[in-house]
Amino acid sequence: MSAASDQQVVAWAKQGHDAAFRELVRRYERPVFSLLYRMVRDRALAEDLAQETFIKVLNGIKSYRPEFKFSSWIFKIANNAAIDHLRRKNIDTLSLDGAPSAETPEQMRATSLQLGDRAESPLDEVENRELGTAIERAIGRLRPEYKSCILLRHVEGYSYEEIAETLDLPLGTVKTYIHRARNELRGYLEDRRD
Amino acid sequence: MTDLTMHLTTEEIELWAQGLLPAARALHLSDCSLCRVEADRERKVILELVQLPHFAPTAGFAERVLAQVKVPTPSDSWKI
Repeated sequence: MSAASDQQVVAWAKQGHDAAFRELVRRYERPVFSLLYRMVRDRALAEDLAQETFIKVLNGIKSYRPEFKFSSWIFKIANNAAIDHLRRKNIDTLSLDGAPSAETPEQMRATSLQLGDRAESPLDEVENRELGTAIERAIGRLRPEYKSCILLRHVEGYSYEEIAETLDLPLGTVKTYIHRARNELRGYLEDRRD
Repeated sequence: MTDLTMHLTTEEIELWAQGLLPAARALHLSDCSLCRVEADRERKVILELVQLPHFAPTAGFAERVLAQVKVPTPSDSWKI
């Protein structure tokens, strides 16, 4: 089965072959998880989002339209999951001065984020090692939409046209995002070297 | 025919960085220091990006996913 095309494996999955589902997870667990991990920069969360993505894709396999690449479909759903999460996180972010509803100094203290409170966990150590290189930190500073485009282009090797289709963006926008993303990355990396 | 004095576009620089730019256009780099500097800087970033590894989720990821997937049975395809 590992030599079969995605389209063929999906066709087997639609017919109810367990092994085809497992093969689709095997093929895409690393690429999908990597995209999400670099988008949200949190291993546990990326894994939850990856799981959510696969469950959605595999339970909806009958609605998959074979005229599109399977990889485009799964990356589209993964990217949407990450963007939705990042939007929600922006809304929910607690202020360092405490929750917006806090009115008294006591309430502000009780609800404020306590930086340095938490010792580094083994998971934090893994994340620091994996995402701690200069290029990973630079990617982490990009806007989410730049990140998706640059990762699909250079880590997954997608063409500009495939990225446009996957992310539902005009081709010109994809080119602009990738160009700006690389410029920003160059800036961050050159700052580090100076 | 492309004018050799014409500066490389962003896409051409990307192709050059990947060794895919047609030789006729790549010739421009030997005469234009502006494009050469830009192309060298771009190549460094692209090389760092293409070498990024894939990360693996924790062990048992596939099992956790598959436990929540309803595999269609052949009889499902007969249902309308």
